[in-house]
Amino acid sequence: MFFQQIVNWVHTLSPDVLTRGLRVAITAVLGLVLVRLLAVVTQRYLMRKSTLQRRMIVRKIIGYSGFVLVVLAVLGELGVKLTALLGAAGIVGIAVGFASQTSMSNIISGLFLISEKPFALGDVIRIGGTTGIIQSIDLLSIKIRTFDNLFVRIPNEKILSSEVTNITRFPIRRLDLVFQVDYGQDLLRVRNVLAEVARDNPWSLDEPEPVILFSEFKESGIEVLLGLWFAKDDFVSMKNSVMADVATRFDAEDIRFAHPRRTVQPDRPHRRAPSRNVAARTRATPR
Amino acid sequence: MDRTGISVWEAVDIPHRKCLQWRFPARSIWVERVETEWHVLSLPERARDRSAYRRVVARSQKPASSEWRHYLHRAGGLMQPSPVLPDRPVVIRPDRALTLLPGQSTVFYLGIPVWFRLSAAGPRAARVFDEPLSVLTRTWFGDPVTGELCWGLATRLHHSLDSVDASVDCAICPLMIENESETDLDFQKICIHVENLSVFRGRERLWTNSLHAVFQGPDQVTQIEITHEPPGFEEGLVQVSDARQPAAGWSIRRTFGMLKYFTDF
Repeated sequence: MFFQQIVNWVHTLSPDVLTRGLRVAITAVLGLVLVRLLAVVTQRYLMRKSTLQRRMIVRKIIGYSGFVLVVLAVLGELGVKLTALLGAAGIVGIAVGFASQTSMSNIISGLFLISEKPFALGDVIRIGGTTGIIQSIDLLSIKIRTFDNLFVRIPNEKILSSEVTNITRFPIRRLDLVFQVDYGQDLLRVRNVLAEVARDNPWSLDEPEPVILFSEFKESGIEVLLGLWFAKDDFVSMKNSVMADVATRFDAEDIRFAHPRRTVQPDRPHRRAPSRNVAARTRATPR
Repeated sequence: MDRTGISVWEAVDIPHRKCLQWRFPARSIWVERVETEWHVLSLPERARDRSAYRRVVARSQKPASSEWRHYLHRAGGLMQPSPVLPDRPVVIRPDRALTLLPGQSTVFYLGIPVWFRLSAAGPRAARVFDEPLSVLTRTWFGDPVTGELCWGLATRLHHSLDSVDASVDCAICPLMIENESETDLDFQKICIHVENLSVFRGRERLWTNSLHAVFQGPDQVTQIEITHEPPGFEEGLVQVSDARQPAAGWSIRRTFGMLKYFTDF
């Protein structure tokens, strides 16, 4: 019944309208398929060795510009005068530009980020208090997934004006453990035990050499820095194992961590000078 | 025990309802065939005994452990153990400082610890697993930005083959070095790309391809060439494993570590 209604409606259309409609449909479908095909061929064959980030940017450029071209072609088929449309678009563009200064700022920041490449897809970065893996770098913002599986969108403008730490940029990192040992400990023994912990840890690199530094005399103990190098993918294994190793070895060697404490030492009992009242009472006492 | 010494690397048919133990100086490998699965266990050896053997044990005597790994492979029968070289380059740190004077050349015999690879032999050949037989340290060769992750090995630099102990879990890598520069060549460490080398089996020893390095100065690229024929130090060598990544050689600016890399302090 419904199909019959459509057929009847088509019969009411003039051949000219039908032809134009068909051409519009073919242009739209073929255009979109071609854009998609171009994106796939570029990704698979021409950019096989490019970085993920570069591939994503090229895919988006092809997708967006191809879509605009297809829309323009369809409008042309529909008989819309493009010169007038582009003129109107220019005026609208100025108006929209004034109204969307923040977005423009983000886009320009995005272009700077793309050219500067402080990070790439898959890197782990820290911005402010947020740490996560970069999932997408777009013109307006970057999207990251935090380690507790939250999706965070950060505007490019904010990234450009903030301190960004790329945690996984380099292949190796150093894990710094800072703690205090009690005053009175044999520091040479502490140093030897820490050197053994570093040597026996399966994730710790022996080159660059581990750093053991007695850095400061603190209120409750001597501050020690143990810096161990590791391959960036081993962070969790490394940190867990070395924390446990230090605690176990210190316990076995009877080396004590420093805890905040206050020693209260009372004065030795001795004869005090009599207070004024006592002296007065003494004077008043009749002999 | 049914095999000792170098013959532990021979193919074996694991009897039904039996367990096989390969015992090496630092590690034991236990393998059992159960229906269509291979059950494998790798345990460190704590005894200081340097012997190596293979023996069949009853299933009741196999070690109880939750770390048995199971591999599904329908074709049973003959198993081929083979020594393969580690999966990353090995940085060799000599036990003593040695300087090769300009115009001099020498041959070093380096003992590279091998890994144990078990493959199912026959028409349906398949690699079952690889397992290191010695614990090597992790180390970094190069600067912290462009260097590479390697295994570290502190060892003696043997000038003579007589001083190298015959060992079934180490392959000897003959390295010939010529110092064609006008500067002294100080060995602090040498990076060997063992993933490019094959392993050969001799009467008592395992061997790798020979290497030939020409040092032309600290600022020059050092070319390391791999000799693809078996090393000529022993007759009748048989290749027992291929290189993980076959190559004709490698060139690297810092094959010889002459600099202490920074530790950021």
